Amino acid sequence: MKKTFFIIIMLAMAILFILSVDIEYGNPKNLDVANYYIEQGLYDTGAINLVASIYLGYRAYDTLIETIVLFVSVVGVVFCLRGKK
Amino acid sequence: MRSSKIIRTIVQKLFPFIMLFGFYLISHGHLSPGGGFQGGVVLGTAIILLALSHGIEQTEKKFKSRWLNMLEKLGILTLIFLGFLGIFFGWSFLGNFLPLGKPGEIASGGLMLPFSIAIGIKVAAGVSAIFYALIKYRGEI
Repeated sequence: MKKTFFIIIMLAMAILFILSVDIEYGNPKNLDVANYYIEQGLYDTGAINLVASIYLGYRAYDTLIETIVLFVSVVGVVFCLRGKK
Repeated sequence: MRSSKIIRTIVQKLFPFIMLFGFYLISHGHLSPGGGFQGGVVLGTAIILLALSHGIEQTEKKFKSRWLNMLEKLGILTLIFLGFLGIFFGWSFLGNFLPLGKPGEIASGGLMLPFSIAIGIKVAAGVSAIFYALIKYRGEI
């Protein structure tokens, strides 16, 4: 049962990969998201720094989880170095 | 081991400027290059520099490790609390409920400034907490 599930997922991933081979990512026709950020970023978030408007506005989840990753790493370092008390 | 008098004096004079630069990077994150993570690391390096030149005991009188650990948790809790405040005011999680303001001013961008401050304090406390742990439990300066 587990093996068939694994094979189905691998097949789906292979199909998606084959379908996405002929997409040209450098083509200006396929840059809708980037163009939207450049045109509307200032009006949506109100920040003139576009990088900040993406990583604190559109992608705030990413920033939140990134800080949690740093927090967990600090906890791990302190826990491992302290040893048994 | 104590550093020489030259290094101690220069670090003492340089310390407020490094802190000022870190706070500038944090507070102008949405206007110019910089942001919470970078400014926080600069603040952390200021504390690390003080600990390297003056010794860990002298530094712990000013920046206690208990307070740093507490500030780190406080920063991350502030982030999550601000996120839930977005739901409370009718937007999504981490939604921007403050007014956007005039572009180019410090008060523009709504929630970005509180986010940057929380992230900066959290990163500064985290970097210096790692350094404190490395010194206190494994070797000494």
